[in-house]
Amino acid sequence: MNLRNTGVLLGKEFIYGPKNFIFIMAVAIPIVLSLVVTAVFGSLFAETPRLGIYDAGDSALVERAGQVEAISVSKFALETELTAAVESGAIDMGIILPAGFDEALQAGQVTGIDAYIWGESLAKDRTVLGVTVASLAREISGSTIDLTIETVSLGDGKSVPWEDRLLPLIVLMGMFFGGTMLPATSIINEKQKKTINALTVTPATLGDIFMSKALMGVIISLAMGILVLVINRAFGAHPGLLVGVMALGSIMAVEFGLILGIFARDITTLFATIKTLGILLYAPAFVYMFPQLPEWVGRVFPTFYIIQPVVAISQRGEGWTGVATEVYILAGLVILIAVIVASRIRSIREKL
Amino acid sequence: MEHAIIAEELVYSYGKQKAVDGISFQISQGEILGFLGPNGAGKSTTVNMLTGLLKPQGGRAVLLGRDISKDVDSIQKYIGVCFEGANLYEQMTGEENLKLFARLFDVKNFDVKALIARVGLEGRGKDRAGSYSKGMKQRLMVARSLINRPEILFLDEPTDGLDPASAESIRRVIQEERDRGATVFLTTHDMMEADKLSDRVAFINQGKIVALDTSHNLKQQYGKRALNIEVLDAEGKLQTREIILDTPDTPSQVREIMASEKVVTIHSEEATLEDIFIRITGRGLS
Repeated sequence: MNLRNTGVLLGKEFIYGPKNFIFIMAVAIPIVLSLVVTAVFGSLFAETPRLGIYDAGDSALVERAGQVEAISVSKFALETELTAAVESGAIDMGIILPAGFDEALQAGQVTGIDAYIWGESLAKDRTVLGVTVASLAREISGSTIDLTIETVSLGDGKSVPWEDRLLPLIVLMGMFFGGTMLPATSIINEKQKKTINALTVTPATLGDIFMSKALMGVIISLAMGILVLVINRAFGAHPGLLVGVMALGSIMAVEFGLILGIFARDITTLFATIKTLGILLYAPAFVYMFPQLPEWVGRVFPTFYIIQPVVAISQRGEGWTGVATEVYILAGLVILIAVIVASRIRSIREKL
Repeated sequence: MEHAIIAEELVYSYGKQKAVDGISFQISQGEILGFLGPNGAGKSTTVNMLTGLLKPQGGRAVLLGRDISKDVDSIQKYIGVCFEGANLYEQMTGEENLKLFARLFDVKNFDVKALIARVGLEGRGKDRAGSYSKGMKQRLMVARSLINRPEILFLDEPTDGLDPASAESIRRVIQEERDRGATVFLTTHDMMEADKLSDRVAFINQGKIVALDTSHNLKQQYGKRALNIEVLDAEGKLQTREIILDTPDTPSQVREIMASEKVVTIHSEEATLEDIFIRITGRGLS
């Protein structure tokens, strides 16, 4: 494989790709869907996450929390007022600070903080508030203590907001529409118009040609996945880890696209195949959309190992230890599919 | 003179259908070989094996001293290929098509306008290739095959279905390339074109080469030389008489007609490559 040739062909894909209908759809659909979902169900016009505090003593945490611009803070005179505000959805999270809280923190006697959670609050808001409270408590303690936020759900606790339910589907669509369809349609066009023959009698190899399409797909897929999360303000506390997982997911999306591009004879066949096999790609998102479905159903499908870590990091604030198993499985699947793709590319010369 | 192309017992089958069945030939540097055969005879499969698009299932092809099966990537720097049927990026302009391939061949100081002008497309280089006529697309494909100043040029039916002016401009370019020293492998089923351009011609039929020589020698070997004489009969109607040349009776037959009949025209007749192909294979080229 020649990096220079791959770069030349990648440039061609990016200069002429945007004129392609599929390219426009790949960019527009996830953005439009995200905006619609956030506008209808969620946080596009929402305020910052809302924290309520009942302080039985005189904790510095109240003042410090008030200085954090990313959240809004309300102080309550009574614990009952706090719980009522949580229950009604006036605030997303309410915490109770007992008398002598700061002194107990500095003495290392505090291991957790009780928090009431509004059942319909967005997962990302809970994550932001939990991380902020824990961080402020550590500042006051003067050490890096382990602190857990013990949550009690109030209000309609069974109701997961539709924005949270739909996010996995939109993220998968963002990553897979571009990541799968763009390389697949590009390969099919080259085959149908026989331009691939013209390329393969130059110093460019089939490897260069397929790598350029794969890189274009990965870049678009990853960019769209990140953009969807940005629009939904669901980036979590570990953005580097999140981007890493999404990069692996984008590679998987592109691998599916390359396989489809190699096997499908024309665009009609491609769309028919996608309609049939689309369930394999998007099924795990339905597990998140309908929480009553058992999680094992999602685990059957390869894309589960993309969306599970993405949701865990972006919505539940989990780190590497919380997603390591799924990421290892995802990496294994990506390598396995890459071997299949490579073997098909070796044999494609016979079909040119 | 060194051979630019050596094909030895090349074989290729599509399933059970043998497309190329053990063909062998050599082409010298700077030579134009016309590769003649009807549709489905194995011409394009042969080109695809010689250019590295298909791996021979038997035999070997050596280009510029290197085995194409083992060294395809390095050989492709030195060849140019014009395919049968347009395979251009139609959403790109003519110039953009050529520039893309110039970058892939890593051609320094590529003068796209000069190449566009050389194939008679001046003034149309900035138009989308999709808006070109068939003849213009073919000319652009020929231009694309010349980008790297190839040592071997493969032209697969370069003038098929073109108007006379487009076909003539492509023939002119082929002759210029030969004059530059390039070896040209010209695949065609147009025997007039092959006769006009080629140093030698090869006939391929059902995957086998059935004849390979200069067109002059083929005509000598297989052709029929004759005189066609048009005469007026007693009722004033035009009649044609044919006299085979190179026989002991030829002079007396000519004398007899000249003396006894009212001669209107006399033409010498030479066998065409198509006549020879039919004679060898029992089928036509078209």
